[in-house]
Amino acid sequence: MSYALNEVEALAKRAVRGAGMSWGTAEEAAKATCWLCRNRIDGAGVLSALLRQNAGKGEQDLRPVATTGLWQTADGGPLCPLLSGATLSDCAVALKDAPITMRNLSFPLLLLPFLASAAAQLGCTLTLECDAGAGSTDGNELALSGEGFLQVKSADVVIRIGDFSGKTLSQDSRATPAPEAWDTLNTYAHKTYAPATEASRLAGAGAGLSDND
Amino acid sequence: METPVQNSIPQRDPALVMRLNRIGSMHQCRLSFMRVLTRRLAKENWSFARPVFDVDAKGVGHAVYTATGPVRTYSLVAFAHDLPPEMRSDRVIATAWDATFTLFDGMPTAEDIERLSKNVPYQEAGRVNEKSLSVSRANRSVRLWEYMVDALSKGEQPDAAKVASVGYLMRTTAVYGSGKLGAADHETIADRPEFDAPFQAEMLSVFLTRAFVRDMINHLAHARGGDQATELAPEIAHGLGIGNSTGLGMAPFLINHPVLLNNWVAAREEAIARVRSLNTVTEAQANLFRSLFARVQVLVKAWRSEHPVQIKKLDALKADLDQIASRLNNDDLTADAPWDRLLNWTSEALSEEGQELIASLILEPYGDLVDNLSSAMSDHRPDAFRILGSMSVAALRDLMRGTYGWALETDWSAQENCARAWYVSEEKLEPRLGERFEEPIADYEQPLAPGRDVARAFENLKTWDASTPIAEFLLKHPEHRHSIRRVQINACAPYSEIQDNTICADMMPIDMLRYKLATFGATHFDPRSDRWVRICMFGNAPYPEELTNENADFWVYPDGEGRT
Repeated sequence: MSYALNEVEALAKRAVRGAGMSWGTAEEAAKATCWLCRNRIDGAGVLSALLRQNAGKGEQDLRPVATTGLWQTADGGPLCPLLSGATLSDCAVALKDAPITMRNLSFPLLLLPFLASAAAQLGCTLTLECDAGAGSTDGNELALSGEGFLQVKSADVVIRIGDFSGKTLSQDSRATPAPEAWDTLNTYAHKTYAPATEASRLAGAGAGLSDND
Repeated sequence: METPVQNSIPQRDPALVMRLNRIGSMHQCRLSFMRVLTRRLAKENWSFARPVFDVDAKGVGHAVYTATGPVRTYSLVAFAHDLPPEMRSDRVIATAWDATFTLFDGMPTAEDIERLSKNVPYQEAGRVNEKSLSVSRANRSVRLWEYMVDALSKGEQPDAAKVASVGYLMRTTAVYGSGKLGAADHETIADRPEFDAPFQAEMLSVFLTRAFVRDMINHLAHARGGDQATELAPEIAHGLGIGNSTGLGMAPFLINHPVLLNNWVAAREEAIARVRSLNTVTEAQANLFRSLFARVQVLVKAWRSEHPVQIKKLDALKADLDQIASRLNNDDLTADAPWDRLLNWTSEALSEEGQELIASLILEPYGDLVDNLSSAMSDHRPDAFRILGSMSVAALRDLMRGTYGWALETDWSAQENCARAWYVSEEKLEPRLGERFEEPIADYEQPLAPGRDVARAFENLKTWDASTPIAEFLLKHPEHRHSIRRVQINACAPYSEIQDNTICADMMPIDMLRYKLATFGATHFDPRSDRWVRICMFGNAPYPEELTNENADFWVYPDGEGRT
């Protein structure tokens, strides 16, 4: 089924929050998911896979410890592309001085929208490279190279100022997520919904005077 | 368009404007979205047609209403239903309605109608695609519908006073746009000139819905009375708008779209500042203002509410109108910056209802000066969402002390200051407001208390060195990202934040609903509790086939050009 990108954004935001991440991260993750969908990448699929992998871990376990030197988690475990990506966007200017290397980054595809944010700030093209391939973006368009890059679940990556390389993807204004991925996101999103009770139905929405006159 | 000179009077202070009491006292103005729509439709000479009206004697069937502009056609596809009375509810939890609609991008084919007929009547339980720009539903007014069908079927006109006491034959209970239920994202149509101002597709759907509702009452009266039946008299039809019941969903919208909120408020504030800055006023402009002031008094006189808070506000507004009338008797309004003098006086002498009514009304003679601001009311700045990580902790703190000073001084540990929590119910995913200390909802709280959240971030920032880039703070404290983003947005969008407590014990969500609905152009605000409100849309407006440049602008004021 085809979904509006606003539907993707609304669900992704709730799902990321439902998976235990902070609201601000969820807001950015939702826009990142849409950005991937706009570039015809299965954003809902990769986000749902990430949330399943992150399950049980808090943001403090999943974020880079510091932004000097190698970016990695405290215990060398999987580095979350949403938290790393938000930080990358915050620190974009550092890329002018030197490339950034991230160790054991989960689902590098999800870092690409944040590369786009950094690229837009710097007014240049940024490239992410790993063993399986590379992605480059000027903030709007995305080019990919390397067979298997779309399937990478974890990699050490280098981000640097560079040129477009690979095949530029066409863009779309709708998303067609796989039903399983959509269901997974709905399952996480559901954790943010308060169970409906008759009391909340009346008081929570403010019953007040007659609504049928 | 006149090019405005540098304003000598600045825009009003956000700390004055962005209070719940004040935004809860807003009135429609020239920049309201309904009026932007009718002006454009008239100016561009849009044409209207009803290619399909296939409704049986019981009121079941469908109809298509088209609006054709310079480049494109849009079609309201309406489905009429025979709803058992016990199923009729305005609440979002309803599952059936008297009529359901979609605004279709282009002319629907028979296959489109067939597909839509299997989805639109079910609303949230159905799906549409990118050819739909909105999805909506409406219920009949029990007070008027049967009475009017009965009267007209017998060849009699309904009692005008009884009709006016309700003001509409149907009220919409939701008008969904931008991407909802699979409809087109606003972003995909935002580059069309007709959607330059916000919510134009939704307003067009309501404008056409009003014609459908008039046609339905005439059709059913004729089906019942045959040759004996008569058509609804135009002067009564003109008074009818489309009602609307609005619940809590609109309140989170304002908080979740800070740039949009800023742009709406800033456009009107800029318009007010431009007009206040005029040193002299022509006699024609002053006379137009006086005549519209007379007409707005008729509008206020017809405004009914049973809600104690609104009754009190209405009483104050009526007293304000008396005061304004006597002041206008002693001021010819032509010299010595008359609008600025008038507004300065209102801020001393009138309630906020009266102040905002006049602030809107002074814009009326100045279409050339202010109407172009409507295109600045959309959000053209997606980049505002991006956090500027290089900003120093000291700069962030300064920004917080400005707009959020009130929040930094609030005792957030006091129960009354955080008595409420916003949450989303699993039932139809509707936003609700609950009692934090009485219901198990805190774990589900939505981030709709910016003041409290910024105060928390400020507290955590206290131990950080002033020169540290905020990126470092956010790396350690991702839980503050949403607050830091809001603070930075506010730095370049000064009206983006409601400067009040949105979770305290005595907060009235209807203040936020009122603001959004007034910006749409609604009138006759009638709160039904502290968290839902009824309004009237397009009351007194010309019907599509009557729209001209002469009646497209001031129809909102009764006895105006909308009447024939």
